[in-house]
Amino acid sequence: MRVAAGVDVGSTQTKAVIVGEDGGVRMLGRALVDTGANVQRAAENGFLEACRESGVEPESVGFVVGTGYGRYKITFGNTQMTEISCHARGAHFLFPSTRTVIDMGGQDSKAISVGEHGEVLDFVMNDKCAAGTGRFLANAAEVLGIGLDEIGPLSLRARHPVKITTVCTVFVESDILSYLAQGKKPEDVLGGVHLAIARRTVSLARRVPIDPGITMTGGVSRNTGMVKALEEVLGTKLQVNSDAHFAGALGAALFAIEKMGESFESGIWRPSNATPRG
Amino acid sequence: MGETQASEYRSDIHRQQRDLMLRWYQRLEESAHGGPPAVSLMISGNCVELLEAFGAVPLYPEVNALQLAIRHQSLDPILAAEEMGYAADNCAYVKADIGAMIKGITPAGTELPVPKLVLCNFVGCNTYVKWFEHAAEFQNAPLAMLDVPFLRTAEPRAEDVAYIVCQLKEIVKQLEELTGRRFDYDRFREAMRCSARVEEAWSRIKHLARRTPTPFDAYFDAITLMGPLYVYRGSPEGVAFFELALRELEEKAARGEGIYDQERFRVVMEGPPPYPFFRTFRDMFAAWKATAVASTYSTVGGLWEFGFRHDPDHPFESLAMHMLAHNVTNRNYLQRYDQIRRYIEEWDADGVVIHFVKSCRLFSAGQGDMRGYFTQQLGVPTLYVESDLEDPRYFSEAQIKNRMDAFFEALEHARSTGTLHRGAAAIRHAPGGEIAPAAADRLKILQ
Repeated sequence: MRVAAGVDVGSTQTKAVIVGEDGGVRMLGRALVDTGANVQRAAENGFLEACRESGVEPESVGFVVGTGYGRYKITFGNTQMTEISCHARGAHFLFPSTRTVIDMGGQDSKAISVGEHGEVLDFVMNDKCAAGTGRFLANAAEVLGIGLDEIGPLSLRARHPVKITTVCTVFVESDILSYLAQGKKPEDVLGGVHLAIARRTVSLARRVPIDPGITMTGGVSRNTGMVKALEEVLGTKLQVNSDAHFAGALGAALFAIEKMGESFESGIWRPSNATPRG
Repeated sequence: MGETQASEYRSDIHRQQRDLMLRWYQRLEESAHGGPPAVSLMISGNCVELLEAFGAVPLYPEVNALQLAIRHQSLDPILAAEEMGYAADNCAYVKADIGAMIKGITPAGTELPVPKLVLCNFVGCNTYVKWFEHAAEFQNAPLAMLDVPFLRTAEPRAEDVAYIVCQLKEIVKQLEELTGRRFDYDRFREAMRCSARVEEAWSRIKHLARRTPTPFDAYFDAITLMGPLYVYRGSPEGVAFFELALRELEEKAARGEGIYDQERFRVVMEGPPPYPFFRTFRDMFAAWKATAVASTYSTVGGLWEFGFRHDPDHPFESLAMHMLAHNVTNRNYLQRYDQIRRYIEEWDADGVVIHFVKSCRLFSAGQGDMRGYFTQQLGVPTLYVESDLEDPRYFSEAQIKNRMDAFFEALEHARSTGTLHRGAAAIRHAPGGEIAPAAADRLKILQ
């Protein structure tokens, strides 16, 4: 079996995916680690953990594609590609009917128009503003003193979502505090926060434009409240599953298998000076 | 992508360009000490030929501002202007110029004169009205404001031409009084003759970029030639420079030399460059061996590649025509769509790259729609990136590089699958083979 890897070093989290080709291509394993300050180490840790989960030796991986903002820091990678190409490819692999990808990550949100083979036709991204990204949600969670994984489910319980007028990641804190002071329930505040981000994201996405077959990827795809808010604003269902968080790394791994070609090159893995943890 | 850099064309053109621009600053310094009179002008649709008739030197605030930016000296004057009260979203050219004026900073370290006249040849950009008012106020210099009607129709009306001619003749009288020099009509016509020759050479240089590979980059290399184009257009020095540049580039084209060992992508550029990160931005194209075959920015001072020339037999009228219709800033947005489309078709481009300038609302505000027009109506791959032409604080290298790489990755993939089309073939045909009509045809509804 030919084995390849994709490593997506994002601003907040690093994702790694191992794929194998034996007749067809399938995902063998995946890993998620915090990026932190040492980007290189995060990439190595993610890669090694994904290898362990896949039951493959790091030395047997024939080709590695790096993606995400830290892609040029992956010392053992063969080549780099942008996460835009990788998310499109990964989303198409997970849901072949994908024609639009909405990717919400830690500091980026983007919409990608995808062709029938997973190729990028067009894309738009947020610019110099973290509103509409995971960071906005993280700030809201912090102000409310609620864990990031809990805010989505809690927002689903909102009966009277508040109106969040600011789309600024910094100023949303004062908006939230003001609503809490008025006695609003945390779930209603969170309902409002999720809707505000959904509206902003959809207005960004409408520029590509949005074709049916919408797949959500990126870290925020794990947030059930966000998925529902987006579906409400879009008026349609989203395609999303537990692998969607890894779509960038998965796409990178699929490109890696493709670029590896017929020549199997073992021993790509070369640990750097940074000692991996664990 | 790797570390490919453009094999920039370096020869007599670049040496002479530096000499000419240095000499310009020296003449301005002489002007400050009783030499030739200086007159402030704006680049867009400038009437530099009028100044030649007085032996006056043009003083272009934009050139000073961009020279500061490209030398990484624009932030201090911008901050100085903001301390004075200019808002964060005011045009950064204005802030750099006013801030530099107040702090006494000059790009070449040479002294700048107080102009005999601050002449706002208002063409397209209404921010300039305030800019030149402030410049006149801070320098205690007289101000004249030309009123150039915006081009809403395909061709200017005869009344508009007569209106401009009338104003230009008033400026002539005003300049005679302010400079104490007589308007030399023969010299004026001679300047028009020089301009026509420069424009012919410049136009032929631009048409060289229709070749594959293009011998010069019509955005990054064109900017090198734009300084002399505005300062020396109506002079024999300008003629000598542009005819030399044409010869050199024709020889380069005849040898089949391009910018890279192998040209991979051909794009049309819209919007001014991020001058504070000019090199960094260029390298992002070089990494993909992508060249600009045409650019709208290089037509701000004048649009000559489609045939317009100054006419020595009708000097005032042709100045008026130039200001009204033959520069990109005074033309309407739909005409700009068609200008870009023509570049795609006739200059054989693969796509369009739009550089949005954060502090320029006037020319950047419609670029989101422009992107939509090219991607969705014409089916031409179009990238949109944002920063600023003068303010370094708006340039986010990682974000811009990410978008550039994604754009060219998509083009490369499309090429590998045979779905990337170039030139006229890149324009989507409607079902039945009918090609989309020109955008400016919609203007007929308005007329």
